[in-house]
Amino acid sequence: MSMRLNHLVVSHADSTLVDVGTLDFERGRPVTIVGESGSGKSLLAHAIMGTLPANLTARGSLAMDGQTFDLSDRANRRGLWGRLMSLLPQEPTLALDPTMRAQEQVAEGATSFTTDSSGARRTAGTLLAALGLGHASRAFPHTLSGGMAQRVAFAAATIGGAPVLIADEPSKGLDERARTELAGLLKLHLDGGGILLTITHDLDLARELGGDVLVMKDAHVVEQGCARQVLTEPAHPYTRRLLEAEPANWNHAWARRGAPPEEGGTALVSGEGLSKAFGGQQLFSDLSVTIRAGERVSLGGPSGSGKTTLGNVLLRLLPPDAGYVHHAVALRGGRLQKLYQDPALAFPARVALRDPFGDVIRRHRLEPARLEELMASLGLTPALLNRRPGQVSGGELQRLAIIRAMLLEPALVFADEPTSRLDLITQELTVACLMDQVDRHGCALVLVTHDYALANAVAGRRIPLGVAVTERLVQGAGTPV
Amino acid sequence: MNASTTTRRAIAAPAARVLRQRAVQAVGLVLLVSTACFAIVQSLPGDIAYRIAAGRYGYDQVTAASADTVRAELGLDRPAWQQLLDWLGDLVSLDLGTSLVTGADVAGELGLYFSSSLQLAAAALVLALAVGATGGALAAARPGGALDRITTFWVSGARALPPFLLGLVLILVFSVHLGVLPAAGHGEASNFVLPAATLAVGLSGLFARVTRDAVAQIRQSEYVRFAATKGLGGRLVFLRHVLRNTGVTLIAYVGVQTLILIEGVVVVESLFAWPGLGHALVHAIFWRDIPMIQATAVALALLVVVLNTVVDLGSLAIDPRPRRREVVL
Repeated sequence: MSMRLNHLVVSHADSTLVDVGTLDFERGRPVTIVGESGSGKSLLAHAIMGTLPANLTARGSLAMDGQTFDLSDRANRRGLWGRLMSLLPQEPTLALDPTMRAQEQVAEGATSFTTDSSGARRTAGTLLAALGLGHASRAFPHTLSGGMAQRVAFAAATIGGAPVLIADEPSKGLDERARTELAGLLKLHLDGGGILLTITHDLDLARELGGDVLVMKDAHVVEQGCARQVLTEPAHPYTRRLLEAEPANWNHAWARRGAPPEEGGTALVSGEGLSKAFGGQQLFSDLSVTIRAGERVSLGGPSGSGKTTLGNVLLRLLPPDAGYVHHAVALRGGRLQKLYQDPALAFPARVALRDPFGDVIRRHRLEPARLEELMASLGLTPALLNRRPGQVSGGELQRLAIIRAMLLEPALVFADEPTSRLDLITQELTVACLMDQVDRHGCALVLVTHDYALANAVAGRRIPLGVAVTERLVQGAGTPV
Repeated sequence: MNASTTTRRAIAAPAARVLRQRAVQAVGLVLLVSTACFAIVQSLPGDIAYRIAAGRYGYDQVTAASADTVRAELGLDRPAWQQLLDWLGDLVSLDLGTSLVTGADVAGELGLYFSSSLQLAAAALVLALAVGATGGALAAARPGGALDRITTFWVSGARALPPFLLGLVLILVFSVHLGVLPAAGHGEASNFVLPAATLAVGLSGLFARVTRDAVAQIRQSEYVRFAATKGLGGRLVFLRHVLRNTGVTLIAYVGVQTLILIEGVVVVESLFAWPGLGHALVHAIFWRDIPMIQATAVALALLVVVLNTVVDLGSLAIDPRPRRREVVL
């Protein structure tokens, strides 16, 4: 079979959100759409699938196997879901029902589920085992890692045998290993003669998939072609800009400054002989870490290696199983601040952003003008403060979180995967804002990230966490990069 | 260790923790409630001995002499703390004492009261859940639609009507005017209808509201959307995903509302002469029957704990996620 998308226009009121010409999809050849958030790439996927939000209108047609579907009618493809076309969702951990076991969630996707549910369960068990999840078929989603949840979601999306698979930002928040695994899954679908459309802002995933790449910007496709061609010799300036935004290509004053001089400053946080186990797994033992004033340290390692846990132990948000953590007097009075991975969870959801900022200003008797000053220097308009967290973009919200942390002129900022959910260009902007502020105030920075390129660009010293990190680190030393 | 033993253990351990916590809570509550009851009765105006004598012999026969007899017989002239300690001591050996008025064994009577109150509360809860959850789920199908507006009206109406007033209205309509249902009595199925309905109306409004919001929110969730694109039809998505996850919210909410339910039980039992704990409590207070007051109050408090324990175990059974703050790796 083949699939062809004919002149798709998605609009909201007067604004056009997607406007693309003809796109052809063939079996076995992946098509990947890259671009920043808001470029319309996700909407394109949902318009094909028929899952656009109700307030958007679509025009255009989709031809599949001789049948033509009018895209303005969102219901005419419902009967195809699971059998002819299926969607691999953006956040696998949210897309799995928290109260249902993995195998059951996969089995219900089988076309035979309503007639032969035990047969569907057996098929689901076989499929999960083939994906290396035989042991987890009876597990509930909260016990699965991001990568495992992704594999369960893949099994659930493909068990119905739909030849068309649409993957919407499937690598969001996944580390390098999980992303490679994901690419393997998607190739599995292609090898079975499937059609694959992947929406991503992750250029590494696009490289691993190969095939055709389309670059979208402001509702339009600005460049398209073979992946190797587009991602190495970009023709369009926007594609070049996208490639430059990858941390490995950053060229900022603060990037890659190398290791700071030894004994650089006073110790702000010192942890000695730290051990922590979680769920029967030893994350780290007898680990000693010192964070000095003004230095930039990264905590790296794959998901599940305990980097967030170590961070929380160092912040004294969690007690270690053994050892102790000492904080310098300089960190008292809120001069130790944390940035969270998902800023939407770090602000109260139902009040205007002005309120949480007002609280910080009142509590610490700060000069209100300082907020305006910081907003201006991070390129945000004061009007944003009248909105709720759900009404600003992820990148803007993370910059607001940086401002909230910086209001207190911290001596140490602890940033936990602050940009792992942002697209490349927004990530660069956000990190640039963070580094600019950190430099200006001379405060120390601990960055938790699974992205080695980002860690290399930002930090002068890296504390790697892995499967067996024991007694590898002595006080104050990590691996200078 | 394979995954299924892990998950089984993951559910068994929290269940044991719930039972442990609730047991500790029950013991603390018994001490607190019985002491508070005792103190409150002591502080009530009037001589207790006279009231008890009136209960035993009738108002006409109450004299200083009969009151003194009662006082001496029951040891009411001893210091209050001694009387309290006596009662608590007896409680430890599970002896609830004898009624000061009738001389009957409190434990024996309490069993009867407890079971009839439990029946009434359970009937009301089942009725409220059946009506409320169905109404809420239907209202959520079209937010802002006619049914949704009707439920909103019903919720505020039901909350504005206190149980004693609602009970009276129901008696007037169904017993006095229509004559289809008995206003009082116990033992037959038809006796359940009016008291259970009185309790259920207020609760069902709350349950409808909570169900409506939960269903509307869950229908927007990623996992419901994913279930749809997997190819599940609307009915299956509702049955397999929406219903179960609504249950998580609703069951937890039932736990919060048990207090309102038990509070209603006391009022409704008096109104419909239902021979339960609430009815017994009101009478015991009237006659200053201290052992009976303490026993019924403690039993009511334990009823709250029992219902909450059932709620906790129920929500553990359908929602396996950990309750405690756990480390996120």
